[in-house]
Amino acid sequence: KASAPAPSKRKEKEPFEIDFASPLDPAIAEMIYTPATSNASISLPKTQWKSKTRNLLPDDKHFNSKQLLQLFLKPKARMGSRRQIFG
Amino acid sequence: TQICSIFNDAQRTTAGHRKLVVSLRKVQESCCYESIKPGKEAREQFDEDDFNVEIARCVIKLMSVKKSEGVGDRIVRFLGFFLRHASDKDAVLVPESEINETGSFSETASTRLTSHILSILLQFLGSKEKTVRYRSTQLVAHVINSLDSIDDEYYHLLKMGLLRRIRDKEPMIRVQAVLGLGRLAGNEDDGDQESENSDDDDVSGLLEKLLDAIQNDPSADVRRSLLLNLPLTASTLPYLLERARDLDAATRRALYSRLLPALGDFRHLSLSMREKLLRWGLRDRDENVRKATARLFRERWIEDCAGARANGESGALREAVPPSIDGLLELLERIDVVNSGVEEGIASGAMHAFWDGRLDYVEAVSFADPFWDHLSPESAFMARSFNDYCHQQANDKYQTLVEEKMPEVTKLAFFLQRYTNNLVDSLCRNSDRHEADEEEDTVEQEFIVEQLLHIAKTLDYSDEVGRRKMFALLRETLSISELPDEITKLVVDVLRDVCGAEAAGEREFCGVVIEAIAEVHDAIAVDEPAPNNEDESFHSARSEISDTTPTRVKGPRNIAGNEEEDGAKAIREITINMKCLHIAQCMLQNVEVNLHQNVHLVTMLNNLVVPAVRSHEAPVREKGLVCLGLGCLLDKTLADENLILFIHCFKNGHDTLQMTAIHILADILTSHPSLLALKDAESADVAALQKSIFKLFSKGMKAEHAPEIQSAATTALCKLMLTSVIQDEDLLKQAVICYFDPATKENGGVRQALSYFLPVYCHSRRDNMERMARVAGSVMHALVDMAEELDEGEEMVGISMVGNMLVDWTDARKLVVQDEANVSWDEAGKKEVKAINGDIHLDLAESLLENAIYLGCSREDKRASIAMLGKLYITANSSTEKLKKVTELVIQAIDDKIATDAASRNALNKLHVALSRAMGEPRKSKKG
Repeated sequence: KASAPAPSKRKEKEPFEIDFASPLDPAIAEMIYTPATSNASISLPKTQWKSKTRNLLPDDKHFNSKQLLQLFLKPKARMGSRRQIFG
Repeated sequence: TQICSIFNDAQRTTAGHRKLVVSLRKVQESCCYESIKPGKEAREQFDEDDFNVEIARCVIKLMSVKKSEGVGDRIVRFLGFFLRHASDKDAVLVPESEINETGSFSETASTRLTSHILSILLQFLGSKEKTVRYRSTQLVAHVINSLDSIDDEYYHLLKMGLLRRIRDKEPMIRVQAVLGLGRLAGNEDDGDQESENSDDDDVSGLLEKLLDAIQNDPSADVRRSLLLNLPLTASTLPYLLERARDLDAATRRALYSRLLPALGDFRHLSLSMREKLLRWGLRDRDENVRKATARLFRERWIEDCAGARANGESGALREAVPPSIDGLLELLERIDVVNSGVEEGIASGAMHAFWDGRLDYVEAVSFADPFWDHLSPESAFMARSFNDYCHQQANDKYQTLVEEKMPEVTKLAFFLQRYTNNLVDSLCRNSDRHEADEEEDTVEQEFIVEQLLHIAKTLDYSDEVGRRKMFALLRETLSISELPDEITKLVVDVLRDVCGAEAAGEREFCGVVIEAIAEVHDAIAVDEPAPNNEDESFHSARSEISDTTPTRVKGPRNIAGNEEEDGAKAIREITINMKCLHIAQCMLQNVEVNLHQNVHLVTMLNNLVVPAVRSHEAPVREKGLVCLGLGCLLDKTLADENLILFIHCFKNGHDTLQMTAIHILADILTSHPSLLALKDAESADVAALQKSIFKLFSKGMKAEHAPEIQSAATTALCKLMLTSVIQDEDLLKQAVICYFDPATKENGGVRQALSYFLPVYCHSRRDNMERMARVAGSVMHALVDMAEELDEGEEMVGISMVGNMLVDWTDARKLVVQDEANVSWDEAGKKEVKAINGDIHLDLAESLLENAIYLGCSREDKRASIAMLGKLYITANSSTEKLKKVTELVIQAIDDKIATDAASRNALNKLHVALSRAMGEPRKSKKG
């Protein structure tokens, strides 16, 4: 059991650090300074701007097994619990 | 330089931030205020600009750090911390006179630094790289939230920049943007009144956009961030509270566990909103939301009522408010218990959760005699809910407690009598009053009596003295014709318990209720001295079985009374008749014995119910039908005779009658499944009956014009199919199609019943699953057609999703009960579970392949069917013939090149490989 945690530890990658002292890598600089070609390319497609449901749940009907097992007219009598007189 | 090393340290842990902030401030001071603090020669070469540039350089470094790196977040926090610290320090340095001159805001080294950083960040907000956009948005939002004020010039630029980002395609960026904007919106709201003319549409514009986002943003994280960061005002509140029904459970929970507790006194919410919030929360589909709501109710809302009393108006100390029964009663009043405390109302659930979490109240509450002398609706409900709660506990945990606290039967009967008398007195006063007079409000008195009856339902009637007292009281109460329906129902229910469970008890119960019905009925005769009616009254006919005389004959009158009087009499007659039928219905709901063992019941059916069914008054007729239906549940012959009648009601009745007919039919068939069983003898009749009943359900399921009927028919069909009373494949197919049909999208009753039913049905029995496998192919076919013919604006689940569900519903591994085919018992009597039999998916494969190969089906249809083939469970433990057959079909399908795209070809190949492997393997066990 002692050996189990060992491999997972090894997997842990080198902790990431920013070297604030070094000058900015030109490749990164370019990445940082490149603006998007168009606003649309970095934006949410218009079709997703509106949600028909307003992201709300429909009314819950709370359907459950209990409802399936009771009679409509006699909610207290459970199906099958009735004494069967003529089998 | 020094700045770099401070930043290097700051990224590692937040623990040292305080110290690092102080030292960075020192560096800043030495750069910016060298004149004030001379003597530090080493740094005199740097001025304020150098400092700002250096900080900005670090900020730029931060921009490329991925979201997943904690390092970045720590630097963001560090910068916010520093800017705040630095501005505070600067503010101290600025002489007070200057503050007064400029109003509130003056430029300092730190504001210049902030502006510098923000100006750099602004250009990154529209970057191509999402990481850069993320970090810049995050930092902007954080800076905004760290500082008290921001330069006007940047304020507007930031707002514009962030507003663009709430439409970013990355949800994580939108989250940061709304975090920043939420704060800005809060500020603007404050300043609203002051600067009305400045830019009004701009102000409302921002809030409007955010409120639009909380409703429409597809990401739950964004909506949740908005929920917790928007300013709480009267204008935002409806939008925030609406999130109680958000699609995302965590967002709903955030509302209940964070926003609402922070909102302040719940009594500011409207009555209907309190009720809705409780109902939605306590009945949420997610357990954590339910828990959060329960906690809100029993810890915060009660304290709003109880705390204020204990601490005067201040309510400063929130903790350890001692139990206050008056507070609890106020809480019940504030949730309008007279309305929310009815059956199916939310008050019972709320109080259950309350007692559950407040042992202090469970102990503190007392129901000594004086308590019962002045019952209010609230205190009556409190007693009832306490009583219910104790009785619902497992292992009789509170059995002794409730026995100690609640009065015994005799006493309760006494209280019940007193409050019933009060109620009846006011009811009588009301009926004596002239129309113009205002009626007494009896709702509260009714409510109190109802609560007492609910308590009576749980009492122990083994004490004969108490039992008799209660029996006599209930018997007397029941014959009061003015008694409200709900109370009648409860009285009958309690009476059933009082009479004892055994057959003799039931007989006594029926006898006594029928007596009461007769008394109520005779109330018609009392003020009606018509000469011919005496023999026809229900009372005289009830002693012998007779199906000849209807209860009341609208026969010709000897005396031509004036019309008005006749009208009034007719109305009174209907009222009394309805009352009798209502009592009969309540009684029949509590009876289980076979009809023929109880002569009184038969008499009652013949003399009261049968005439009612034939009545010309629609309400009487409908009530009669329900009673007749209940009677049918008790007797198969009666049911058999009347099935046609109920089918007729469905065919020709209006909407409510159709619903009633569906309910009755479903219950009858559930109680007497053999009515639909095809026997040798009258099989032609039964087959015809079956046909018309199947047709009825089919028609009901398609009743799009009447969602209620559609939902009733679907639910009823689900029940009958689950109990195997109906096994028709065509109806099953229709049910599945109905589930996916866009037309039922708005009908929650239909959709939710089916989404529960379909997997349960298929996974519970092998027969059912086989049935589903047989219809799956044609279901696919029908649904593909449906998808192609969608009207504009209609939405439907993707066809591949449908396929996945069908595969899942026919997956033999998911059968809950593995039947004899798989389970056997070894010699030692130990259960042995064999490998799961894979025949069902093979059958499905066969029908899908045949569809795809032989039927001229559309390309879409073919592709959808073939996609399903790749997902089937193929195992060696299947019938060899079936394996062979399907293999042949697959090979043919591949040879015929029926697959037109790569995905389909892969699916076919995958199935082929799986089949070959299954064929190759030695069979582990042979099917019995």
